[in-house]
Amino acid sequence: MNFLSFLGENLQVFWTYTGFANVTVGHGIMILVGLLFIYLAIAKEFEPMLLIPIGFGILIGNIPFKDAGLQLGIYEQGSVLNILYQGVTSGWYPPLIFLGIGAMTDFSALISNPKLMLIGAAAQFGIFGAYTLALTMGFEPNQAGAIGIIGGADGPTAIFLSSKLAPNLMGAIAISAYSYMALVPVIQPPIMRLLTNKKERLIRMKPPRVVSQTEKILFPVFGLLLTCFLVPSGLPLLGMLFFGNLLKESGVTRRLAETARGPLIDTITILLGITVGASTQATQFLTKDSILIFVLGAISFIIATTAGVLFVKFFNIFLKKDNKINPLIGNAGVSAVPDSARISQIVGLEYDPTNYLLMHAMGPNVAGVIGSAVAAGVLLGFLG
Amino acid sequence: MKRLTGIGLLLLFCAVWTTNAQRTTSLKINEVLVINEDNFMDDYGKKYPWIEIYNSSPGTVNVAGCFLTNDINQPKMYMVPKGDVLTKISPNQHVLFWADNKATRGTFHLNFTLDSLKPNFIALFDSDGRTLIDSITVPAGQQADISYGLIEDGWDQKRLEEELRLNSGYIEKKGDKLWIYFEKVTPSSNNKILETNEKIDNFKENDSTGVGMTLTAMGVVFVGLLLLYLIFKLIGRIAVGLTHRRVMKTAGVTKEQAKGISEQSGDVYAAIAMAIYEATELHDEENTILTIKNAARHYSPWSSKIYTLREAPKR
Repeated sequence: MNFLSFLGENLQVFWTYTGFANVTVGHGIMILVGLLFIYLAIAKEFEPMLLIPIGFGILIGNIPFKDAGLQLGIYEQGSVLNILYQGVTSGWYPPLIFLGIGAMTDFSALISNPKLMLIGAAAQFGIFGAYTLALTMGFEPNQAGAIGIIGGADGPTAIFLSSKLAPNLMGAIAISAYSYMALVPVIQPPIMRLLTNKKERLIRMKPPRVVSQTEKILFPVFGLLLTCFLVPSGLPLLGMLFFGNLLKESGVTRRLAETARGPLIDTITILLGITVGASTQATQFLTKDSILIFVLGAISFIIATTAGVLFVKFFNIFLKKDNKINPLIGNAGVSAVPDSARISQIVGLEYDPTNYLLMHAMGPNVAGVIGSAVAAGVLLGFLG
Repeated sequence: MKRLTGIGLLLLFCAVWTTNAQRTTSLKINEVLVINEDNFMDDYGKKYPWIEIYNSSPGTVNVAGCFLTNDINQPKMYMVPKGDVLTKISPNQHVLFWADNKATRGTFHLNFTLDSLKPNFIALFDSDGRTLIDSITVPAGQQADISYGLIEDGWDQKRLEEELRLNSGYIEKKGDKLWIYFEKVTPSSNNKILETNEKIDNFKENDSTGVGMTLTAMGVVFVGLLLLYLIFKLIGRIAVGLTHRRVMKTAGVTKEQAKGISEQSGDVYAAIAMAIYEATELHDEENTILTIKNAARHYSPWSSKIYTLREAPKR
């Protein structure tokens, strides 16, 4: 073999290792999806903290390569991405995210008007609406439970539950949950307008009372004891959520609270986003099930929003005139903190520029986080 | 000092209490075969009676240092040797000991055997040689190649009674005895072989539409948040009452007046704060004092000079 043919053969071998030689239509589609996520995050500012890592993760996960045992892909044991992905598969990223959420959430709106908690419960109908539909579409009960949790509009909860109930569907479920969370400003307002009349949209709610420090400290303690005694399977999420909140409200662990809501949650968000994105390798992701999951995800968001708004209207029947709740905050029960609360504010201001609903909407919004974690615990208990 | 001792004791208690759940107390004698004629063989290709130990905890437990015996008066008859990685039992997994009276053959070969003509007492003691972890007396008259084991891995009488109470069909399916005979022996594998997921099958059979799950789960979610609502409604009332009392005491006003003062919304306080700020802090004309503003530097411990300098001695 002369030197030139040796070089030629080497180049030929090299070519087989390149992405160009291994690319498929599926890779192309997924790369376009990743680019779309990045575009939506930068140009439209839809959940950029999530969509940028996930979008870029999709690009990373869909660089085609020859399976030559080089430990490159996220599904190859021992690869760097695989090691980082273990936080998702074994379910320890989501509780750490919840720790940060707890440390940054102010539950004052909920404590000052605790009846708003029930809106957060009502919106969980989205989860079980999607569960029922998924069963009729032929999914197994455990898969249906994992898909249904998309309606909780809570990414970490969706990842946590799907990693336990249906690990093979986790990529599609996570992407679907985060996509629809980013699309909350598109999905919710038409439903809110459709289900309310002008008079209801103009309801002014009583300003929340000032909540004492003691009440704020008692909230995570009682919250943990009550919810976890009822649903121990929700412990990883609820335990960390309330622990983070106690760090914030105790007033004596400022450094810990700042770490939890700052560097820790940022680090985990980066790792979670990039690995969930990378887990969407075209070969694993582009299936009929993924498409069905996206359809069910959209339906679950619609049901959740509808249930939240209708529940407020129903609740108002029993409330005194000066205690009525503006049904435009019903959508906030679907969690997706704080976007859905922000939507309540924006839609409310369209009809009365002096009616600020944000603080009121934060009540059902954070109740939705608790409600979806409880619902996840129930599903895990029954189907895990 | 007393406080520190108290905290120390509390932490110690918590540590002991939590780790105990995943220690040797979770081990169970799970299955025993007394007459091994045509059954499982050891690494030497020999057939001897065997004893299966099961780890019923969700954490790995090391059986090394524990004692196995067939005589209650000699609890330290066979100590499971330390230093063998195979003595670590994974969660809900097993190890098998050969009752061949040939302890020199390795970690899992005992220095006693089982008598096929008499009842066989078998006990597992903790590493102190005093704490009995589990024991069983295998009745006399065992048949060849039929093992005597727990109805389900790691169960005890309490767990069985609970199942009998909750599941009326259990007796017909399995019976109400904790220890049963297995014609199909299961050395080093679960006594109950899981072929399907019972929970999921149950839902598929009885709740194919998902309505039952929806009603149950939504009920739980509502009850959870309703309890939280009721508790915090009560706490809120108490807090408001205490605030009124405090206002009455400090401002020397009546209850009604105190109610009016303390029920001011956050908006009012925000407006007052803004007015004070505008009156005292903001000004249209700059004062004439020149100042040198500190240049903003982004702090990083990696570039901080202070960490690279030796600390000056303090006097």
